[in-house]
Amino acid sequence: MNAPDDVRSMLVESATRLLNDQVDQKMLDAAKDDGWSARLWHALEEAELPRVGIPEEAGGAGGTLSDLAAVLRVAGRFAAPVPLAETAMLSGWMLASAGLPVPRGPLAAGPAGDEVVRTRRDGRRWLVSGTLARVPWARVAARLVLLAQADQGAVVVSVDPARCAIRPGRNLATEPRDGVLLDNVVAEAAAPATNVTRSALRLRGALARALLTAGALERTLELAVRYAQERVQFGRRIGQFQAIQQELARFAGEVAAAVAAALSAAGAMERGSDVTLAVASAKIRTAEAAREGALIAHQVHGAIGVTSEYLLHHSTLRLWAWREEYGNEAEWATTLGGIIQKRGADAFWPAITTT
Amino acid sequence: MLFENVDFSALELPAPALKLREEVREFLKAEVAAGSFTPHLGHTEFDAEFTRKVASRGWIGMTWPRRYGGQERSYLERFVVTEEMLAAAAPCAAHWFGDRQTGPSLLRYGSEQLKQKYLPAIARGECYFALGMSEPNAGSDLASVKTRAERVAGGWRVTGQKVWTSWAHKAHAFFVLCRTAPDSGDRHEGLSQLIVELDAPGITVRPIRFLNGRHHFNEVFLDNVFVPEDRVVGEIGQGWKQVTSELALERSGPERYMTTFPLLVELIRRLGKAPDARAQEAVGRLTARLWTLRRMSLAIALTLDPGPDGERGAARATVDLATEAALVKDMGTFFEREIVDAARLLAAVEPTPDATDTFERYLAETIVSAPIATIRGGTTQVLRTLIARRLLGPLK
Repeated sequence: MNAPDDVRSMLVESATRLLNDQVDQKMLDAAKDDGWSARLWHALEEAELPRVGIPEEAGGAGGTLSDLAAVLRVAGRFAAPVPLAETAMLSGWMLASAGLPVPRGPLAAGPAGDEVVRTRRDGRRWLVSGTLARVPWARVAARLVLLAQADQGAVVVSVDPARCAIRPGRNLATEPRDGVLLDNVVAEAAAPATNVTRSALRLRGALARALLTAGALERTLELAVRYAQERVQFGRRIGQFQAIQQELARFAGEVAAAVAAALSAAGAMERGSDVTLAVASAKIRTAEAAREGALIAHQVHGAIGVTSEYLLHHSTLRLWAWREEYGNEAEWATTLGGIIQKRGADAFWPAITTT
Repeated sequence: MLFENVDFSALELPAPALKLREEVREFLKAEVAAGSFTPHLGHTEFDAEFTRKVASRGWIGMTWPRRYGGQERSYLERFVVTEEMLAAAAPCAAHWFGDRQTGPSLLRYGSEQLKQKYLPAIARGECYFALGMSEPNAGSDLASVKTRAERVAGGWRVTGQKVWTSWAHKAHAFFVLCRTAPDSGDRHEGLSQLIVELDAPGITVRPIRFLNGRHHFNEVFLDNVFVPEDRVVGEIGQGWKQVTSELALERSGPERYMTTFPLLVELIRRLGKAPDARAQEAVGRLTARLWTLRRMSLAIALTLDPGPDGERGAARATVDLATEAALVKDMGTFFEREIVDAARLLAAVEPTPDATDTFERYLAETIVSAPIATIRGGTTQVLRTLIARRLLGPLK
């Protein structure tokens, strides 16, 4: 129960090796212009990594949600400029849950917020309409997988972004966050949404960002520690100064908490035990850690850390972008606190101790 | 990397631990219903009768081998008992140090005779230990202890002064860290651990009152106290290693983040079913922190559990989670204060120590005890220095 099982260790090892070989500063700099790295995507796809956690009968590679969580943590660590989370954790899950096959290629998912996508039958076809803001990776996706409302109920539809009007946008880290206009777009596939709900999609989105954040925090800590080991000021390594040591220790605590929260939430979602408590906690805690951690990383680095030549910003920009996506810490805390209060004081400790 | 060998997603309490939790909750509920104790926050109360009841359920020394009065249960089961006791603010001071520190130390380093003498008595709830570590000039810098033991016929003569010795005025004996060899230049050498009975001739215990007037701290003077040879714990000269070897569990237990927890429960009660967004957000944030800290603490307990084949009661030595444990203490003690501040700001009542309202009394108790959690068991600053050294490795 305690040691990571062998399959997961191997998966993490191979993902780490692949990303370590593929992702370098040049790739990350190029992705700022292109929005992503097609080369990295193909390497990941060859290794079947975007299909982890998707059942084999849907065309996935099998494995559990916790397996996928472990991979996303690694992807966050390397700031992988690809829609791995959207493909495997969101779109792949939506399609597979609706009994639809999961096509190859990068996938985008939505909407997890208040926006409404409508769909209606037209003979054997489904026509999809709606306006969406800030869809992650829409312009590089092979398919947009959307939770649409029909008169008969919710439907999972898959559409070709080439049939939509895309207005390119980006987040702080220049990852694509695109406006999408659908005007009676013919769906490539559609099926009734049974387990896919807006709140379930939002929970998954939040979990995905929590996992990526945990990984990105690990990288920023690695960079800060290495810098403190090497940089000399006042005739000493700056890591020898207690003022720096205290900050690094606090930073390590934030990183450890982020890793613990994000992976624990994945386990809770896999088991289906008090998922909202777990995912909300993970999103809150990782966003708080992102705030503290990114600032300490920059403070330790001094001015070199705020340049676009130095590696750190690829991680910290993502931390600042991801903490807002799928709900920031204040939104989730208000939701979680509301639930806790409604359940009442005597239900609090039992809820904390369900896992 | 942190938590390298820990699989958080798979981390779950096994069925026996869940069953045990229900038993502990039933027990505590009955005790509270019977009025056997009044919960207090800030420091745990000394209640020998309550300790004997806990012992009769088999919940003291529960991870120890049966031959020493233990139950051979897992660290996770012990974790469950500890967190339930803390959640109920149960008065555990009488057995706290014996169960948590001196028992495990004896198991690992004690002679067979010492184990036989003390462990079953601790587990029965009849023998209470205190810790003689700090001295007037050895606080965070524990290695600078000056209390000396001189070898004499049949044992040792100990002279010196210990301070901040919680419950020494009620305990039967205490573990004394002292110098058994002159300073060789390496301050970590020449230290040893002795068990000193607190009724021995030459012992004087004086109260040090806490800032609210309560008495749990003491200073203990040792004036040429005779300690028989067989009360040496482990090896002479190995005291430092022995004292620091089991810190991971001590630093990361639920007592590092739950001592103000009952105040949070009372805050939730006071806020009612539908408080405003500000209150909801505050409660949500605290919940996320608690949930995360508990997962970290649980992971350390589980990872250090020696398992059914290991020597029961002694933590697994092969996994090094000392950094992670120090992080739990650092963040946990900070979190305990965050509860106090949230309660204070949301409730906006003037704290009153003798309030009849439980929330208000807890608030008063935790405000005045808030400074101590980040001092005892290693100050925040010392812990952070230790954490940073592990992160950075040797620098020159």
